[in-house]
Amino acid sequence: MNSMSGANSNRRDFFQLVLGWGAALFAFCASLAGAARFMIPNVLYEPNQRCKLLKPEEYEEGATFIAESRLFLVRKGNTFRAVSGVCTHLGCTVLRNSKGNGFHCPCHGSQFNENAVVTGGPAPRPLPWYLVELSRDGRLVVNAAHVVAADKYLVV
Amino acid sequence: MLKKLWAQLLGTRIGRSVFRVGLPASNLQRAQVAISSFLLHMQPAKVHQRTLKFSTTLGLGLITLYLFFILIITGVLLMFYYVPSTDLAYQSMKDLEFVVTAGMVLRNMHRWAAHLMVIFVMLHMCRVFYTGAYKQPREFNWVIGVILFILTLALSFTGYLLPWDQLAFWAITVGSSIAGYAPIVGEKIKFILLGGHTVGQAALLRFYVLHVVLLPGAALVLIGIHLWRVRKDGGLARPGEPAFTQEELPATALPTTKSYGLMELAHGTTPAVGVEPDDEVFTWPNLIFREILVFMLVVVLLLVLAIFWNAPLEEFANPVHPPNPAKAPWYFLGLQELVSYSALWGGVIVPALIVVALVALPYLDRRRAGIGVWFSRERKVALSIFSICLVTMIVLTIIGSVFRGPNWSFQVPWKPNIVAEER
Repeated sequence: MNSMSGANSNRRDFFQLVLGWGAALFAFCASLAGAARFMIPNVLYEPNQRCKLLKPEEYEEGATFIAESRLFLVRKGNTFRAVSGVCTHLGCTVLRNSKGNGFHCPCHGSQFNENAVVTGGPAPRPLPWYLVELSRDGRLVVNAAHVVAADKYLVV
Repeated sequence: MLKKLWAQLLGTRIGRSVFRVGLPASNLQRAQVAISSFLLHMQPAKVHQRTLKFSTTLGLGLITLYLFFILIITGVLLMFYYVPSTDLAYQSMKDLEFVVTAGMVLRNMHRWAAHLMVIFVMLHMCRVFYTGAYKQPREFNWVIGVILFILTLALSFTGYLLPWDQLAFWAITVGSSIAGYAPIVGEKIKFILLGGHTVGQAALLRFYVLHVVLLPGAALVLIGIHLWRVRKDGGLARPGEPAFTQEELPATALPTTKSYGLMELAHGTTPAVGVEPDDEVFTWPNLIFREILVFMLVVVLLLVLAIFWNAPLEEFANPVHPPNPAKAPWYFLGLQELVSYSALWGGVIVPALIVVALVALPYLDRRRAGIGVWFSRERKVALSIFSICLVTMIVLTIIGSVFRGPNWSFQVPWKPNIVAEER
């Protein structure tokens, strides 16, 4: 390139920079982006977010653990609520307190009261409450994709 | 007798075609052996006498390398029986334990070698720090070492999930949730790592591929560069070694024909620069002999461990019932102890600070004091800071390991808390 005259050499440098290196960089970034996107699955083979339970009258007073969906169905008289059983700290499954008025996590000792609000330990957020509905055939349906306030009940 | 037979074999046409030099009889041949063999040429033909002294390195890096090789061999053998599926993984572990001949010993060796490798990488790092061996011109090799340290932890962590027992499932659930605390990208990283929202089939397959292909491959390449740089940076650090100079040779100084030798181009610190030849000994047989000895000791130690202590295998993974307490692998228990106070601090800020501090260390600590000397008095500040951090991490790890009982409550190891099973 040193034998070239100034203007010619500048133009050549410019094209080499923009077209040559630009194309190489673009190809590299595009391949990287494609590979990164490839790693994000489009279909998840995970349990359904909506979970169909038994009829309301089959559940006892207090919290019942629904193992397959890792949540608790809480009955109080004729009202029903559902709360996540997955600790908001590091994803362990929480247990009911021995007194039956809240939950605690065995992994790092987070405490939740009966409204699933954090009362102790490292958990950063309360356990989320899920929407409880009644299906046409009279069975309870919990929708884990739909988070509701703690004071929202299904009255049967 | 055996030596004679070996010499005869090397003397044949086939033997010479394979080994070129044969058993060396002269100093020239001792040099040729090291130079002409692919495996042996990782080492210089001659090394400084200090290199042979056990107290120089304690053999820690070498032991780590051997453990890595043993892990590859035992790991590849285990792959012949292991199926990375949530239905079959646990069955293959049981098969390896009770059906496959030597399966139990191989799995034990793999498990204990993995734990030992984590320990020896850490010890090796401590040795390099306490002997000031990361200083110029070895800064970048220290950085490669830090990356290898992280890779070792990642290898161990991804392997932890594969048995698909309770221990595996909950350690990875807890560990990957920590990643979710990283600001902005945390949830995304966790999702890509697990291939979903929870630890399931997708996560098992991803961890398997990382564990058997991607991470060992990366480690192998970096180990190669790491060893190569040890040579290129002038061998092991030693006190009074010539200061590092990077001479820029003017292009005009080079001969115009291509008849010049490599020595006319290679400048700077090499093992031979500024040393009396008397301080150096031939790699063959002095260094080779010691290396083989260390290898035999490592294999014996591992075999004893593998024969007398079995690797843990708990019951089949159960996503709804965490063990109480659920603990991460031991090398993360210091972080888990911190996580029990604050997930952001223990899971993100402290580990990030540790990595950044380790990488930046050789570029911040630039004084040329105490190179190649254990606990040099000229490095009081650096030694104190490092030691305080090290002791803190060890104390946290011990608290997390043995002083934490059910519900992560404080307990004394000789009087464990017992909590009745609930639900």
